[in-house]
Amino acid sequence: MKWLHKMLNYLIKRLLWMIPMLIGISLISFFIMHLAPGDITASESAFNPKASEESRQKLRALYNLDKPLMTQYSLWLKRIVKLDFGNSFASHQRPVLWETKDAKGNVSKGMIQDALPITLMINLIGLLIIFALSIFLGVVSAVNQNRWPDRLITIIVFVGFAVPGFWLALLLMYWTGVTHSWLPISGLHSAGFEKMSHIAQYADLFKHLILPVSISSLGGLASISLYVRNGMLDVLQQDFITTARAKGLPENKVIYGHALRNTLLPLITIIGLSIPGLIGGSVIGESIFAISGMGKLFFDAVLMRDFPVVMGILTIGSVLTLFGNLIADIGYAWADPRIRRGISN
Amino acid sequence: MKNLTQNPLALSGLVIIITVLFVAIFAPWLSPYDPNYIDIHSILLPPSYSHFMGTDGLGRDVFSRMLYGSRISLLVGFVAVGIATLIGTFLGAIAGFYRGYLDSIIMRFVDIMLSIPTFFLILAVIAFLTPSIWNIMIVIGLTSWMGVTRLVRAEFLSLRNREFILAAEAMGASDYRLIYKHLLPNSLTPIIVSSVLGIASAVLTESGLSFLGLGVQAPQSSWGNILTDGKEYIQFAWWLSLFPGLAILITVLGYNLLGEGLRDLLDPKNKNQKK
Repeated sequence: MKWLHKMLNYLIKRLLWMIPMLIGISLISFFIMHLAPGDITASESAFNPKASEESRQKLRALYNLDKPLMTQYSLWLKRIVKLDFGNSFASHQRPVLWETKDAKGNVSKGMIQDALPITLMINLIGLLIIFALSIFLGVVSAVNQNRWPDRLITIIVFVGFAVPGFWLALLLMYWTGVTHSWLPISGLHSAGFEKMSHIAQYADLFKHLILPVSISSLGGLASISLYVRNGMLDVLQQDFITTARAKGLPENKVIYGHALRNTLLPLITIIGLSIPGLIGGSVIGESIFAISGMGKLFFDAVLMRDFPVVMGILTIGSVLTLFGNLIADIGYAWADPRIRRGISN
Repeated sequence: MKNLTQNPLALSGLVIIITVLFVAIFAPWLSPYDPNYIDIHSILLPPSYSHFMGTDGLGRDVFSRMLYGSRISLLVGFVAVGIATLIGTFLGAIAGFYRGYLDSIIMRFVDIMLSIPTFFLILAVIAFLTPSIWNIMIVIGLTSWMGVTRLVRAEFLSLRNREFILAAEAMGASDYRLIYKHLLPNSLTPIIVSSVLGIASAVLTESGLSFLGLGVQAPQSSWGNILTDGKEYIQFAWWLSLFPGLAILITVLGYNLLGEGLRDLLDPKNKNQKK
């Protein structure tokens, strides 16, 4: 019980610590947003030659673009504390984060609300595949150090590291989608998705996910296999492994029971650290496969200088990273009694 | 250097990088055509003896454009990593040397920067500042110094109370001298390794940006933007997509091999492991 109490204290401390972090993050992204010469009113009027100087002024006033930077920032900060990320400049002025009802009772869904689950789904499936495969590859590599399976896996890992994901995506798309028509090459659903049975819907989604998920897990697969291999080699050198072998434990138990367990612990932290990379990496994959997740939403918003959407995604992406790190640290403490004791003291 | 030739990984990496360097420097002499010369009579020709890598949608020679493109990826890699290494080493040295509140401020700033999805940040800045090769190099540099800072700080913290540093301090060495003459030379290994690996990821980032149309702008050629053209013609002209992708792959592979090889060679811990 005492332990739980200390853990709770630690949690609260970490959560409080997030507040200054978030303010720092929002400050950086807010001022980057205003590096741009010209503003939204300029790009909107470019589409509408009839827009007068007066109507542009009105638009600027509406979005507080006429006020000094610090005032704009504090107005924005006040709103996001209430989780109000505002409405998109473009895209029919949809709410950025979550659905809202207007006076007539029409519900318009939030842009991030729509996009986030898609990106999360792709990346979570990707993470599962990365772990399953890279633990297997890393262990095989370490156990056979400097023999042919190790050499082969090392070559694959280095090539996997260096392949530009978008290039491979392009080639795979062409080869499996255009030449052979085995797999759908864009979007997440086929036409007529709504009329399919449940099972057919899942099958359809699965087929659409194969290419994007494999591309998104490529880089992580390479780096984590290498990590597992080196970690295993390190652990296998240690005294407790010699002890385990000396007392006559079968090699299987030494590898999977003792060595692998100790190698996998730090991996929990690595998941936390890989979150911003995964979210950022979604831009290229989602643009190629025309999947409307966070990456594509961000890319489109950046091109249109849709400030509220850009700021919203930067903030939500960073919050996700912070929570990811927190969960990883808690998971680490939960899995490793040494850390747990460290927190208590 | 002698050890380098005995490590096959590092050696092959070095060979690849020297080749790319050679190609980039001598591009004007090696390329058979003007890379920007538009020849409407030879549009989308497949690879042949007169055009090793075929021609693109405007009839430009892809081989020549690839040779010139190597300059971009080299320049972006070196300048971006140079900026990142300078900032990272400077901040890491201050944090590790002075510790205390300076250290906390710097490391909290590192934490903040690490939790913003970097590619989003780069994308936003580039799109707002109009894409150009200089903006790309600076932005990649400004968003990738955090790892170096952590490494240098950790190295300084572990060296700070060693006898040779304390001796130099006792002899009245200034802070500047301690950092520059004693601590920094002893922390070079991780800086070099992370810089080489950093170049690899900078090259990948640049090609990704160019692919999205936010990188090096036409008519200047980069491997990324040749690939973007290739995307349009992928059904009729496979050579436009294949060669630039391979070039990026091989270059990035070279830096990664060299980086990992150097890590093995320079890390004294690994020596016992091998034999």
